[in-house]
Formats: sequence, C-alpha cells, structure tokens
Amino acid sequence: MSDLATLDKAPLTNEKLEKLAAEIYRVPLELQREIEQFLYFEASLLDDWRFRDWLELFAEDVSYVLMTNTQSQTRDRRRGVHPPLTYIFNEDKYQLERRVARLETGMAWAEEPPSRTRHLVANLRVLSYDGEVVETASNYHIHRASKQTDIYSFVGTRRDKLRRVGSTWQIFERKMELDQFVLVAPNICILF
Amino acid sequence: MDDLLHVRSLVNSREGTVKPAIYTDPDIYRLELERIFARSWLFLAHESMIPKAGDFFTTYMGEDAILVVRQKDGSVDAYLNQCRHRGMRVCHADGGNTRAFTCPYHGWSYGLDGALNSVPLEKEAYRDQLDKSKWGLTRVTRVATYKGLIFGNWDATAPDLEDYMGDMKWYLDGFLDRRAGGTEVLGGVHKWTIDCNWKFAAEQFCSDQYHAPYTHASAIQVLQPTTANKADGSPLGEGQTAKPVWADALGGVQFSGNGHGSAFFFTGKPDANVWVGGQVSAYFREHYPEAVERLGEVRAKRLAGHNTMFPTLSWLNGTQTLRVWHPRGPDKIEVWAFCLGDKEMPDDVKDALVKSHARSFGPAGFLEQDDSENWVEVQKVLKGHIARKTDFCMQMGRGFEERRTDGIPGLTNYTFAETAARGFYQHWADMMSAENWGEIEALAKASEKELTNV
Repeated sequence: MSDLATLDKAPLTNEKLEKLAAEIYRVPLELQREIEQFLYFEASLLDDWRFRDWLELFAEDVSYVLMTNTQSQTRDRRRGVHPPLTYIFNEDKYQLERRVARLETGMAWAEEPPSRTRHLVANLRVLSYDGEVVETASNYHIHRASKQTDIYSFVGTRRDKLRRVGSTWQIFERKMELDQFVLVAPNICILF
Repeated sequence: MDDLLHVRSLVNSREGTVKPAIYTDPDIYRLELERIFARSWLFLAHESMIPKAGDFFTTYMGEDAILVVRQKDGSVDAYLNQCRHRGMRVCHADGGNTRAFTCPYHGWSYGLDGALNSVPLEKEAYRDQLDKSKWGLTRVTRVATYKGLIFGNWDATAPDLEDYMGDMKWYLDGFLDRRAGGTEVLGGVHKWTIDCNWKFAAEQFCSDQYHAPYTHASAIQVLQPTTANKADGSPLGEGQTAKPVWADALGGVQFSGNGHGSAFFFTGKPDANVWVGGQVSAYFREHYPEAVERLGEVRAKRLAGHNTMFPTLSWLNGTQTLRVWHPRGPDKIEVWAFCLGDKEMPDDVKDALVKSHARSFGPAGFLEQDDSENWVEVQKVLKGHIARKTDFCMQMGRGFEERRTDGIPGLTNYTFAETAARGFYQHWADMMSAENWGEIEALAKASEKELTNV
C-alpha cells in the first residue's frame, strides 16, 4: 500500500482521489482490524487502571509527545508561522513508568481516589505499512469523571507508529495534539 | 480609607486568621479588579518574546485583555485589546508580528503605537468629522521593564516599579541575573484553568513551603534517584542531592512588603531539586562560580524556592517556571506558565530545560498536578455558608519574625512559617480598603507593626 502520511499533504487532485480509492480505502481488512483491536485493548488497560500492563504495549525506545497549541494571525497561519509551542508530555519509557509509579503511591492526590476514564479511539486510518511498521492516524476523546461531579474532556488527534513484534505490536511513537489551546482542566494527571 | 466592603474585618494578621469569604464573595472580587489589579504592577511579557518592531504578545491585566507591542523605536507599549468603536477584541492571535491591528468587526485599524489610523468609509459615514486622534487604543498608563520582565500599571500614582518591588528585587535578581546576558523565555506558554480563587495560588507561592512534603509526597517519592527507583541514573533528578533541598529546612521564609514573599534555602552544594533534569542541574553546577560572582553565595546556591510578587506573579528557582495567575472570577484562574532560561545557555541545555520544566511544573507536571487539586477542593468546600464564615488558621511561626543581619533582606522566619502569608493578606486588605496609593503606603507602615509585634 502507498504512504498516506505523505499523500495526505498533497493537494486533493483527481489523481490522488483515484489513488486513495485504489489503495488506501482498501487497506487490508485484517490489518485494519488488528490495529483497531490493539488500540482498543490499549485504551481498556488505561480505563481499567492496569497501568503496568499498559506499559508493556510500549517499546523501550518510545517517544510519547503532546505539544501545546497557539492561535496565530491569518497571515501567519498561511505562512505556517505561529507563536512558539511547548511540551505537555515529552516522555520516554522511563518517564512513563515513573508516572505509573506515581499513581501507585496512593499519594498522587489528583488521582486519589482514582478518576474514571474512558479513552475513546475513533476515525482510525492506517496510513502506511511496510511489513514491520504501521503508521496510524486517529482521533481521541478522553472522558474523565473525577471526585463527585468533576467532568473533564480531552479531545484531539494523534499519530501512532507501531512496530510488529512477533505476533503482536508495540507502540514506539505517539504524537498527539489537543484541541483546547487553553486547557480547561486543573491538570493532566492521567495518561493519554 | 473607606473599607467599602469591610474586608479589614476578614483578615487579622496579628492573630493569624482569615475569613474564607475573601475567596468567594463576588463583590469582593469586583473590588479586587479595581483596587488590586488596576493599581498593582502586573507582569505582561518577557522582552525576549517580542524582540523586533511590530512583535506583539496578547495577555491580560486582571480580566482586561492587553496587547503588548514592540515599537519602531525599540520601546515597549501596552494597550487594551479593545476596539474603541464597539469594544471588539482587536487581536485574536496569541502573538506574532504585524504592522497594524485591524478590528474584525467594522475594520477600524490601529498602528503599533495604538493610534487610530484608518476607519472604513470615513468620508461617507463620518462626513470626515471623526477626530481619529481621540480614538486610539487605550494605552496602559505605565509600562516599565525590569531585567527583561515587562510590567504594566494602570495607576499613575503607584510607586515606581523598583520601589514597588522593594526587597523582592534582591530575590528576583537571583532568578534573572545568574549570568551575563540575562534570561529569555524558552518555548511557548502553558495555559490552563483552575477552578479556584487566585489568592490560593499566589499565597502558596508566596509563603507555603509547609505543603510540599505532603502534597508532593508522590512526586518526591518516585523522582528521587534512589537505587530502588533506577540505579543507572534517571533523566529527572539525575545527579541530584538525594532529597529535596528544603528537606533540612535550612533557610527561611521572608516577607518583602507590598504583599511580596518567598522562601530561601541554604544548601551544601549548588543543587537544584531532584525533579530538575540532570543536564540542567549539571549546567547550574558548571556556572555556579559565575553566579557567585554576580549574586553572592546565598543567592547563587538558591536553586530551589518559591516566590510571589504581589499580586499574581510567581516563580520557582531551579525549575525556572514563572507564572501568572490571571483571575477569572472569584472561583477561577487561568494559569500562564513560562520557562525562563539564561540567554547564554547552550541550545541543548535550553531544550533539556524546556522538557524538565514541562515534566515538573507544566499542567501534566509531576509536581504541578498536586497543587491544583487542593485549591479546587477548598473552593468547592467554600460553597457552604458556614464554611465561608469559618476562620482559617494562619498562625504558624507567629511572633518569631526577625530582621537578619547577614544581608538577607525582608522580614524573615523559619522555612515552615506563615509570615509571608500574613503579610500577603494584610497587604491585600490594605489595598482593598485604601482609596489611593498614599493611603496604601501609610497602612503598610502600620501593618508592619501588626506583623512583627505580636
């Protein structure tokens, strides 16, 4: 199959539409289903507070990044210029593990008592697959119910890169964007 | 002094009590916007964020939307981000570079200097009778810069910025002036909301070291580079003293007057806290001699510690976070956090610092997560009628204040003491009840006695 990650950026011409129809829409059903089930499983581990198991789905060399976003002038946006960004998450495997360890202390007060989360994964597209690495695009909606009445919603998009490891997969890159520019939450104390 | 809302009955700095209505009452909040936020020096931006003519950054003074603009002559001005025709927000962008600010509503267009330069259909609609010179953007009365930090003040009679800072300048220098060339903002601005009164956040950074061992227990536990955690050295906390530098409580809290306060620490080595990245802490150690030369040993070693410059500018040494608690009603704030690094830092250290800053005190930071949770819960509890009338205890270390003779300025006390909190709230009450800066300053003199003569 061709590389939709690259193709996505090209203008939408007839040629591109044909290419999409011929190759991308016909991503092998089994591959699509396998990745989908893997990502649903990953989400369920977070929702079930099985954080150690969740870590197992990430490669040792994982990069897990969420950047802030900014509003720029129309003129700047057209030129691809925007005010500077910064990291919300910039985790490697060790940092992710420390976040899990923190939740396990029983003294991470933002998650004590633990909140109830539902990690919804939608609009999954398989962008490329070379026999070893698959790149996906998806949207996420994380619904977090905390304490008695606190409801927080995190919606955004992400690109995941998964590596085939034996008969299963590991995520080795997760690049996320969040639609809220000013975060409407007191913190981010859960994993995305 | 008119004390319109009787706030002086809600704060008793001599006894060390506060009535929590000060965090919830909408009338008090409205008066705060007028008497605190329209009369204090408020942080607007760092000079490094708008280096070139036409560069701008949009921010807030209290709830007022503000444009901070680099002028053609290199100076900085600030304006209300509000069109003079129908009050529309003139600029939506968080920052950028421009030649003009044109209102999206009817197209009034303003220059970098705030002047109204063009009005659509000026001849036809206004019959050429609009005096454009009278309808420029509302200019912030006073703008002043201190070592890269740009401040604004609406009150023409307020003391000059450096007088307003007073002894706090000594502490701020330790943050801004470690190396020749000063500081710059690294990366973008973290922005998030917390459903709590602004004074919880500002007071904690002003005075409260006491919360750290308990509130941040989980972060301290998992970030310490002990063998139980990770023997081969960790990205966070690597090469650091194996406990928070304030754990021995060598140092103290200080109140600088005008509501400002902070903590200072004496440490054996020039070490940052364990949650500062290894590369960053190595940088601090490497440039320690230069910092000693510029600042002296105490401030050079002060690579941890909390600070608030009244009302809403706070920073933490070592993690290099500088933030503003923009008020958004009595029960909400918007936090804007900036990462400050030395201009002379190598690029790879700057990158490491931005990451370290986000991991510790970004909205998903290991430490940051805990603080907001407390403030939100307190604010919820204060929905209760009885809860709002129930005194808070602010008596820690009362009567043990001192003036040091070793050159460390401010009214000081043991690390775990609420001296600066009592000073913070007393100054708040003074500003709220005084009709002008003359009265504020007279009240401040009287208040110092309240704080010291228990």
